Amino acid sequence: MLWAYIYCYQLTLDSHNRATGRKGAHYQESCDGAINKCSSLPSSTPVVVYCSKMNKIVQCNDIAKVEGIEIGHGLAQAAALCPYVHVLPFNEENERHMLTQLAYRLYPLASDIVLCSHAYSGGLAIRLDNLTHYYGGHEPLWKTLTQALSESDVRYHFGCAWTIEAAKVLALQKHDTYVCALDDIKKALNACPLSITALAPKVIESLARVGITRVQQLLAMPVQELGRRFDNNTIMYLTALRGETFPRATLFRPLERFDNFLLLPFDVENIQHLGPFVTQQFEHLSHYLRARNLYTSNVAVHIHFREAPPMSIDIQSALPQSSVKSWLPLFTLKIENLVLPEPATAVELKCHQFEEIDSHNGDFFSDRFNDVAQKQLIGRLNAKLGDNSTFQPRTANSHQFEYMTVTEPSASEYAYACDTAPTFTFEVPTPLTQPTQICFGPLRLHSEWWHDRPTKRDYFIAQTPQSVRLLVFKDEESQWWVQGLFC
Amino acid sequence: MNKPLSVLNNHPHIWRAREQKQNETKFSLGFPRLDKALNGGVASTGLVRIASLTGVGELSLFKDVMCQHRTHKLVVFINPPGHLQSPWLENLGLKTQQVLVVKTHTQQESLWAAEQCLKSTACHCVVLWSNTISQKEARRLQVAATHNDALCLLYTPLLRQLSPSSKQQNRPLSSAQGYSDDALPITLDLYLQGTPHALSVTIRKQRHGWPKDNIVISHKWTPDNNAIKWAMTHNTLSDQALHSVS
Repeated sequence: MLWAYIYCYQLTLDSHNRATGRKGAHYQESCDGAINKCSSLPSSTPVVVYCSKMNKIVQCNDIAKVEGIEIGHGLAQAAALCPYVHVLPFNEENERHMLTQLAYRLYPLASDIVLCSHAYSGGLAIRLDNLTHYYGGHEPLWKTLTQALSESDVRYHFGCAWTIEAAKVLALQKHDTYVCALDDIKKALNACPLSITALAPKVIESLARVGITRVQQLLAMPVQELGRRFDNNTIMYLTALRGETFPRATLFRPLERFDNFLLLPFDVENIQHLGPFVTQQFEHLSHYLRARNLYTSNVAVHIHFREAPPMSIDIQSALPQSSVKSWLPLFTLKIENLVLPEPATAVELKCHQFEEIDSHNGDFFSDRFNDVAQKQLIGRLNAKLGDNSTFQPRTANSHQFEYMTVTEPSASEYAYACDTAPTFTFEVPTPLTQPTQICFGPLRLHSEWWHDRPTKRDYFIAQTPQSVRLLVFKDEESQWWVQGLFC
Repeated sequence: MNKPLSVLNNHPHIWRAREQKQNETKFSLGFPRLDKALNGGVASTGLVRIASLTGVGELSLFKDVMCQHRTHKLVVFINPPGHLQSPWLENLGLKTQQVLVVKTHTQQESLWAAEQCLKSTACHCVVLWSNTISQKEARRLQVAATHNDALCLLYTPLLRQLSPSSKQQNRPLSSAQGYSDDALPITLDLYLQGTPHALSVTIRKQRHGWPKDNIVISHKWTPDNNAIKWAMTHNTLSDQALHSVS
């Protein structure tokens, strides 16, 4: 067996970074400091995560480290070192939420995932050996997983070894190299100190007394000798570390229902400002539904506060749907009249009722493939024929036939519908030279007053003897012109 | 002698009128007489050539075909003879996101673009304006369309009208042209002629069916003043009554 252990040492901080990064894009103008692109945080803010139960800083960002703050400091010490430090509270439950979300993200890529929790951070163990077959080797598998991890913006250390326990030791050691050869794993494991293993402190202490401080020394000792001195749990752990036994672990299984919890990076007082965060959650929901071929017609947004009981907003849709585009307007409408009783600290999106997509109109994949094919097609046509050769006609905000259609998407929402619009218009109107018979009209159109040369035209639809229907108009000088065709 | 003939008989591409297959998907045009002549409508895939003047309702004739099937796919207009107007498209029933207009400079480019569109699988219908098309080019488009479940409507100007007069003058050339013109390997070849009150459709050639001349259908593709005329003729009230306030 080969397991990789992903040690996520600053989940709360990562989640805060992500949220402020998104927010930063919105409020870039209002922030006086430049926004640091790589860390996506206002560059000068040191951030620490503080656990009040232990009075310890458990996570801190790079800027805080520069200021001298270290993990394990007390709050007073941190505040003394850096008075303007931004402190986030540590919440075990939130960390677990975030770890679960990461597992959800990885689950489509790897089947066997085990969630582990440490004192102030979390980790995921992923079984690799049974996956290499599907990915065609270790390299592509690991690339895929790291890609997914980097997309989720989580900082981590990792290690690979034959059991979860051994991999965990390597991850805590910050080994950060992908190894699959047994000798390499052994070499890496041997160098680790005993203090990072999951052995009880008492055991570590008693081993240290006899001069055993490294994993190598411990593993070299015969099991029978140790068995006489230590309890069963220690022996089981040691054999697991050696790769001789494989303790049972509960594998992660995604829930039947969707539940996404997002801790807000700051307290939100105005309900309208929740928009970006909820959009993010709707994106998660649409991915979830898409992957399972489901629709939903009922979602619930829970807003959590410090004191007040959570506020629940149920959103119903007449038609089962899955996309962000369809759910977000409903949410915006729903919250228009709502007022938050106190600043919100977290939002949670829940969805428990799903509907199968009707398999009768089983064209489920068609629009997705279509979308890709469409983009490819437009790209190919533009490549050969020139960038301006393809366009989609858009409705413009004008009642005049020559300005009704634009090739650029118009900024205005209103489109002027006109049932007398011709199929084609010509570049410039040409004089009418053939005998025609009028079959529709007149329709008098004035140009808008802000045009340089205002025109007044009487439009008609005229038919030639060959039954060609033309859009003709008579201008103010009673001249007849042809402007378009009805095909 | 007998054996080679039987081999030839077994060839799946030889069509016999007695083996009318009805399992082909057809898109109805919405005109009962025309649909009957076409055995149910236009085939769902393949190349359809329509020879007509521009402006006799030749696009509106295919309204049902363009708007009611495969609506998630694109309808591409290649080299249209003017600026395509979006309100007209919407009246027809096409959403503008579903429409793509391609402007080309040469005929070769149009044909290339049409073939790419058909092959991309993103298109429901490719509408192409081209003056002439050779057998080989028609074959390419036909194959691209049938293999990718798409329809290609090719609009060409009226060549028939020219040919009777030119036939007398230089016979060898025009007959060669006429031959290549008629024998295109395509699904359907139509010829439209507008008369003052109706549209006359001639099926010059159709796959799995017989040609038929002069199918007259009443086709309305523009708004007209009939409502006003009707109101005027049926108005029994006097002018006074029309203007009275009570």
